[in-house]
Amino acid sequence: MGIRVVERERRGIRAPTIVGLSVGIAGIVAIFLVRALTPALGPWSLPNRVQDLLTLSISVIIESLPFVILGIMLSILVQVWVPDRWIMRILPRNAFLRRAMISFLGIFLPVCECGNVPLARGLIVKGFTVSESMTFLLAAPIVNPITILTTGQAFGFDSWVFVARLMGGFVIANVIGWLFSKHPDQDTLLTDSFAAECRLPDDPHEHEQSRWQKSVELFTRESAVIMPALFIGSLIAGLVQVAVPRSVLLSLGSNPLWSILAMMALAFVISVCSNVDSFFILPFASTFMPGSIAVFLVFGPIIDIKMLTLMRTTFRAKVLVQLTVVVGLLSALIGLVVNYLA
Amino acid sequence: MRWQGTALCVAALVSTVWLAATNQLILYIHPRYIVFTVIMAALGLVLVVASFRQSPANDHDHDHDQLSPRGYRSVITITGTVLTLVVAVALVVVPPATLTTATAEQRVINSTQVGAGTRTVDSAASAPAGAFARFTVLDWSSLLRQTTDAGFYRDKAANVVGFITKDTDDPQNVFYVSRFVITCCAVDAQPVGVPVYLPNWRDRFAADQWVKVSGSFETNPSTKSQQSIALVPSATTKVDQPSEPYLY
Repeated sequence: MGIRVVERERRGIRAPTIVGLSVGIAGIVAIFLVRALTPALGPWSLPNRVQDLLTLSISVIIESLPFVILGIMLSILVQVWVPDRWIMRILPRNAFLRRAMISFLGIFLPVCECGNVPLARGLIVKGFTVSESMTFLLAAPIVNPITILTTGQAFGFDSWVFVARLMGGFVIANVIGWLFSKHPDQDTLLTDSFAAECRLPDDPHEHEQSRWQKSVELFTRESAVIMPALFIGSLIAGLVQVAVPRSVLLSLGSNPLWSILAMMALAFVISVCSNVDSFFILPFASTFMPGSIAVFLVFGPIIDIKMLTLMRTTFRAKVLVQLTVVVGLLSALIGLVVNYLA
Repeated sequence: MRWQGTALCVAALVSTVWLAATNQLILYIHPRYIVFTVIMAALGLVLVVASFRQSPANDHDHDHDQLSPRGYRSVITITGTVLTLVVAVALVVVPPATLTTATAEQRVINSTQVGAGTRTVDSAASAPAGAFARFTVLDWSSLLRQTTDAGFYRDKAANVVGFITKDTDDPQNVFYVSRFVITCCAVDAQPVGVPVYLPNWRDRFAADQWVKVSGSFETNPSTKSQQSIALVPSATTKVDQPSEPYLY
């Protein structure tokens, strides 16, 4: 009798597994075929603006996708494979020192900002406070080896822009972490669904699951949250780029204050990853003041259209507004100081 | 909404792999990111396939905890889902394409100096005679930004390929043979162009048409155009879009 039950249960689990696998693989093959066959139907004469909207939005998705996958994989690594005590043990107890050290975690987990969202979520689940996770989220895209290298290559390792970006990223992340650590109930900073996920007791099935199964489960869960946000963010970024003439922003380049605001607006709209934004902004260095370039490089990795959409998966809208205002003011201050000194 | 995440993953990952296999990923990202992108896409697909093997029995615990949206929130959720699916369908169905004159005009041709290794007047002055025929639109547009001395351009025959974008000051007689320069992906594409003086060019060509223009630089005969130097073509022919439409 007992054997039969076990047998039935085993079959019960296996049947949907095989069905799911077959349907899934058939789906992948079908999408591949559709993708491969539609260009043969001839060029689509879409209006130029619509075509460019699609090209720009898809470009943001394809550029961010590898970083998102990498971010989810690192999040899985931290949540499933790294023992709880490892990360917690090496961090100091003092809150300031702890956040300062968290700011440097990006050196070991070099993902640009979009990949950092799933990773920051994973760190909260793992036991970081919300403000500590925010410090990581804000510092890691700037204080990481790839960004340091590309910024240094583009502007020189002894330039104002380089120093302002690194110091600025570190300071802003820690100020934000400190400000939000003052909040009495950190869980209320999170969206209801994510807070609920953090409060979840261990999944009853989890004990039956191997680490590999848990990893795959986590991948499914995280991609269900992050991918729609990435698609929507990319579409909005594409829309704004098609709608706002670049000349409006560029005409503001030589004024110390306006150029800072223009660079913030450009960073907000363009939503390009922190690992590569230095090369993008380098040509603008001849028209814009150095402080404004620094603002682009400090503000952009933290706040832009794509990033806000991604962060909305985790934080409440009110928190994102506060975050945007404070980061904006601090970045502007850094820009003004650099414009004054340089 | 697990299916949505998985479906979007499949759409994005399969499209990325197909674009890479058909050498069209360069329409969206700089070639130096292709290897990284393809490796991560392959790893992503492995995880997606592994997720198909996972028993959906594990689903129900989490689904209970999703707060059911009400009122205006449900409108936002539905709109978001629809927009997401529209982008996903476009990603899978619409043939990939380069950016068009709409973006070139919106971003203003030659509005910024682009390209890390842009051609300088000094390096051009010392270049051997045959080298000029290989100068790209980016090379010439960088030189035109640096000097408008007609003497510099004498005896330097140009031979460039690009798409046509009209000159806003004299759209009748002047167009730009233009290209986009990208540093990371199509999002940061900056348009560059060489002004071409060809009276009534619209009789033979349309905007967005890819052309090959051969000729020499002279003082721009157009009185309306703000460009003081223009390429006066000896031959302008229609060509197919090159396999690498962007410059780097």
